[in-house]
Amino acid sequence: MAEAATLTMRGIAKAFGATPVLHDVDLEVRAGEFLTLVGPSGCGKSTLLRILAGLEAADAGTVSIGGRDVTGVRAADRDLAMVFQSYALYPHLSVAANMATPLVQRELSAFGRLPVVGPLISRGARKRIAARVEEAAEILEIHTLLERKPGQLSGGQRQRVALGRAMVREPVAFLMDEPLSNLDAALRVHMRAELAALHRRLQRSFVYVTHDQAEALTLSDRMAVMRGGRILQLGAPDEVYNDPATLEVALFIGSPRINTLPGETDGAGRVSRMGVPLPLRAVDGRAGPATVAMRPEHLAVRSFPSPDGLTGRLTYAENLGADVYLHLAVGDGAHVVIARAEPQVAARLSSGDDVHVEQVRGQALVFDARGDRMALAEEAAAVEAVA
Amino acid sequence: MTRQAARGHAHLWFVGPALFLMFAILLLPIAVAAGLSVTDYGLGNLSNEFVGLQNYERIFTRSTYEKMFGATFRYVGVVVPVSVALGLGAALLIHSLGRMGDLYKTIYFLPVMAALIAMAIVWEFALHPTIGYVNRGLELSCGTVLERLSFFAEGCDRTFPLWLTDRDTAIWTVAFIGVWQGFGFNMVLYLAGLTGIPRELYHAAEMDGARSAWERFRLVTWPMLGPTTVFVVTISIIRSFQVFDMVEAFYPQGGGPSKSVYVMMFAIYEKGVQQNLMGIGAAITVVFLGFVMVLTLLQRRLIERRTHYV
Repeated sequence: MAEAATLTMRGIAKAFGATPVLHDVDLEVRAGEFLTLVGPSGCGKSTLLRILAGLEAADAGTVSIGGRDVTGVRAADRDLAMVFQSYALYPHLSVAANMATPLVQRELSAFGRLPVVGPLISRGARKRIAARVEEAAEILEIHTLLERKPGQLSGGQRQRVALGRAMVREPVAFLMDEPLSNLDAALRVHMRAELAALHRRLQRSFVYVTHDQAEALTLSDRMAVMRGGRILQLGAPDEVYNDPATLEVALFIGSPRINTLPGETDGAGRVSRMGVPLPLRAVDGRAGPATVAMRPEHLAVRSFPSPDGLTGRLTYAENLGADVYLHLAVGDGAHVVIARAEPQVAARLSSGDDVHVEQVRGQALVFDARGDRMALAEEAAAVEAVA
Repeated sequence: MTRQAARGHAHLWFVGPALFLMFAILLLPIAVAAGLSVTDYGLGNLSNEFVGLQNYERIFTRSTYEKMFGATFRYVGVVVPVSVALGLGAALLIHSLGRMGDLYKTIYFLPVMAALIAMAIVWEFALHPTIGYVNRGLELSCGTVLERLSFFAEGCDRTFPLWLTDRDTAIWTVAFIGVWQGFGFNMVLYLAGLTGIPRELYHAAEMDGARSAWERFRLVTWPMLGPTTVFVVTISIIRSFQVFDMVEAFYPQGGGPSKSVYVMMFAIYEKGVQQNLMGIGAAITVVFLGFVMVLTLLQRRLIERRTHYV
């Protein structure tokens, strides 16, 4: 049984023709961790995964697995397993045969793989393979489907077979390319929990590609937010959520989206939002335009306007049962701010009402004109505590 | 007429035209042929008599028809496997090419588009025993090391094969031209099949440890081409059974040296049209239909069930 391995990529660059897809990407996947590559479509996350798998060659950079440089090593010799978005099951083989394929290909001799005489020569090895397939099928609860063809299975069952095919071999790491995106919403949530359990059980490195930030937040030990062929931020989900390095990360992670309003900083670093000064001060006192961002759940409805709060007209109340998201038009309707409210609070409001909200938890995030996060001085925290 | 009644007959108007055409141009002619095959009918005869299975009896006992079956099965037996294999091979090679693929595709498809009668004349010249460039090319080997091979030694000593005019080589030569003419069509069908194979399956095969091209072919390409192969083999069988124009062009009189290229289609034409023996011609037609039918049904039963992955 192989150990979980560290996967390292250094200076990976890739272009398809004249279109650059990845720019000098560095990534280290720690042994046994669940790392998610998340980003909008076309950000290069799948390409990065395929370079790690060896299915695609990078134009520059190195890949190493467990300390061994595998840059020039073909995918079959990297000892990785991959789950594809389309599952890529062999339609002519039964579930059992699909799951056994990696073992048959790797553990039987060329003679043992021959069509008719093969099974006779390699009867013992084939028995062991069948036992391992059975075992994996038990774990995934598909042992009753082993004789079926993939065409006779539902999406969720195919997904499990694809996982099973990856699992039987006990590779050093699992690569998953949007494995849940073809499932319906309820099944996706269910499979998410199963994947997390599977990761705990297998103790292997998982590299998981998704465009769904909810999957990234719920599953990962660490997540890498990608955009435009670069990793914008790599960190634990909490860290990325609460402490985004750039405006792009802040906008991509979190649902509903983080609220952004135009603001500026003066020479002393004092931050104002739409002309209203806030009790925040940037460490680096540069004057210039800025963006002030607030998470919807950090805002609360107040009965009276507060000096550093916001007032907007309620345009739409999005009721999710446990929470209601209030869409407020602020600044003469030029900007929309979304605030989370409890249903009881929201029930008292109706469309067109003026609603006052205030930052009650966390801190507003300030980004400079380039979209980089601005560090805020400590005194701001003290001001917040008073408020 | 009430509305219910009108609705009750509406379906007849929908299926009627198709049914009528199917009867008029498919089933009726077959029935007529079957009917004629038990008579001694000839075009213009004032009377014709019912002769029972006499025509069929002749087909299965007389040596002419034995030769007919021999020539037909030799031709089908060579052309079907070779043109399917070459079609697949060419498709795989072209599929692995980039831009040059289109050029090869055109080259291999040209014989399919060309009129076989015209091509037959070209082949007749090329294969002429003395002035054809095939044998003249072979003569160039005389005096070289190639002469150590018995084929060249005999050829230089006496004569190289007469190809189309030797009863031992004629059917194989015709089959070779049949392959040359037909495999481009199979290639195009296989190319279409190859483009339909999802790339992810090859990636999955690579991740699963299928290292050699042969393993990838066995694990992905061949099974995924199953439905295409069923179609290609069926079409090839039917086309090979139907070979006629080439034989007519090479041997307008009587089906080649000692009737060694006397294929079924030519026999039907010779008996039914040239000699006006409609009864026997119709009987061969029915036997011919029977063969094609049986082979097609066998195909469906044996292979199609295993290649359509629901």
